[in-house]
Amino acid sequence: MTTARNVKAASSAWRDLYMPPRWALLLRRREILVTAAIVIVVAASAAAHPYFWASGNLAFILADSVVITFLALGESFVMIGRGVDLSVGAIMGLSAIVVGFRIQNHGMTLLPAVLLGAAVGIVFGLGNAVLVGVVRLPPIIATLGTLSVYSGLEFVVTNGNQVDTIPSSITNLGSHTVLPGIPVILLLTLPFVLVSAWVLRYTTFGRSIYAVGDDAEAAYRAGIGVQRVLFSTYVISGLFAGLGGVAFLVYTSGASSTTGINDNLTAIAAAIIGGTALTGGAGGAFGALAGSVFLTVTLTAMSFAHVSDVWQPAGVGVLVLLAVVYDSRSRAGGPRRSPKRQRRRGAR
Amino acid sequence: MTTLALPRRGRVPVWGTCLVLAIIAELIYFTLTTRQFAGHGTGMLQLTEQFAPTGVLALGLAMVILTGNIDLSCGANASLAAVIAGTVLAKGGSPALAIVAAIAVSTLFGLFNGIIVAFVGIDSLLVTLATQFIVTSIATSVAGASPPFGFSSAFTLIGQGSVNDVPIALLIFLVIALAVILTISFTSLGRSLTLIGYNPRAALYSGIAIRGSLTAVFTLCGVMSGVAGVLLAAYYNSAQPDIGTDLLLPAITAAILGGMDIFGGKGRIGEVVLAVFLLGYLSQGMLIEGDSSLSITMITGLVLIGALVIKVVFERNFRQRLTARMQRLRTMRSPGPPGSISPDADG
Repeated sequence: MTTARNVKAASSAWRDLYMPPRWALLLRRREILVTAAIVIVVAASAAAHPYFWASGNLAFILADSVVITFLALGESFVMIGRGVDLSVGAIMGLSAIVVGFRIQNHGMTLLPAVLLGAAVGIVFGLGNAVLVGVVRLPPIIATLGTLSVYSGLEFVVTNGNQVDTIPSSITNLGSHTVLPGIPVILLLTLPFVLVSAWVLRYTTFGRSIYAVGDDAEAAYRAGIGVQRVLFSTYVISGLFAGLGGVAFLVYTSGASSTTGINDNLTAIAAAIIGGTALTGGAGGAFGALAGSVFLTVTLTAMSFAHVSDVWQPAGVGVLVLLAVVYDSRSRAGGPRRSPKRQRRRGAR
Repeated sequence: MTTLALPRRGRVPVWGTCLVLAIIAELIYFTLTTRQFAGHGTGMLQLTEQFAPTGVLALGLAMVILTGNIDLSCGANASLAAVIAGTVLAKGGSPALAIVAAIAVSTLFGLFNGIIVAFVGIDSLLVTLATQFIVTSIATSVAGASPPFGFSSAFTLIGQGSVNDVPIALLIFLVIALAVILTISFTSLGRSLTLIGYNPRAALYSGIAIRGSLTAVFTLCGVMSGVAGVLLAAYYNSAQPDIGTDLLLPAITAAILGGMDIFGGKGRIGEVVLAVFLLGYLSQGMLIEGDSSLSITMITGLVLIGALVIKVVFERNFRQRLTARMQRLRTMRSPGPPGSISPDADG
């Protein structure tokens, strides 16, 4: 009932007159809508190709989506605070390279590898955080700059070498399954999603990210340290990108100087499909998970339907467009809002 | 907001002067360190044809950024234009037909972006993010397994030829730059774009056709992408489907380094042109010195961040001093309680 009351309090005047039934409210939650879409895509593909339903294939799809899930999780924190982090892919690649070389040449085990990946991510996330939170550069420019720097750094760190021999004790996590169709690596990812969801939903820090993203001025007047919150979101984004790098190693058992260069925009796409708005103040951790899985499932279904791989980016593009059109209709109440939207973007 | 929307004429632009000084310093440095760079004076001119396509893209982007929007799809759009031009040439079409077809297709995608942004009202970052993916797919699909290469000399002349040692690509870039400067400064469309970027609400209330102007600016950006794509195909004498995609970041960097405010309404196209030369010579000089293209990307990123940090810190201090002075003036005029006027509290 509290949900219903909150929705009513937050909605605009014309919506106060009409209270939709509970199931309709449920449909407004993006992660549930996306989960339904996943079920539909899986069911349709399984009907056309029985192999799609095979446990090996499902496990492959889920393991494939783990890296993007990590990136999208971090991106969600940033985007809820009305920022954007274009450098997550590069941070992910750097973490994969640094950790990969330690594993390959020094026989590092999994737990230290995860810690090292997280540390690498935090260090590079701090770069973004300082530029946005302390120097107050616009996030899109700051992270565009760090994207250039970090992807150049990837090249410098690899120095022409690449990671290609990861021991099977680590890569097994990506290929083995616990239950039919559920890979181990997904189970290792779920705690991170749950903790993120808890932080976002139930902690003061999480709520202040939403507040800052919805209206930075109001949050400032309410006594929230706006710049401190923004600073933290970029560090968290770096942290998840670093973890994503380790997941990338586990899943692909290799890394090179171009790892993750193309994943920045895919991560943003997954977060947007999962219901996180670029205009801030909306979204969540489960949305990031659902968005990444949906993206991977749809792309796999496309190749099952004999659509050439060439069209995979177009698939991502169309999905983003659909998600965004759905968003602006459901939240803005029509196209009349464009001047206001731009003004708010300007305030970012 | 204490700054004016339109650039004040008759004053020396500080940022532009900084850029000019940086270019001069850079040219002197590379001339002294690497022998091939100057190349008897004409070498420096010849180098410009390598970054002319980036410059054309940056001009299109600068106009879009002036309205407070962004076009992430222009790099992919240039790739598509290059691929279309290459395919038409490979099928036996004349160079003129190839150029027209390429620019027409990229203009169409620019128009598509513009219509979605202006009439559906979706944030341009998202729209062009999506169209970037879609256009990339189309370009890869059109190019096929073996992208076209080896065009007639009449076509490659656009990218490689020169008139009296001045590369044709540079001439095209300068002509377009002049056209853009004139459009932004002296036409009603240019004024509309600036005002839309500076304050969309004010633009709406003063009766400016916001939707038409936005559609126009995205279409123009599409045209620029097409020109950049043709220049690329002509310069490299081939049409790889990712030929223009890598130019997106340098083009945005040039526009931002050229002083365009990412929130719109502020910036000079002339300074963007200077930034194109600064970045272009920087990367070409480093390439000649033997650095890899990725470490150049890194240096470009560092230059962008460094320049912006300096600029932002400088402007913030300036604004704070101005606000403080205004406050002192006001308190002198009306003896009210001190501190009644809130200082700059943008959180």
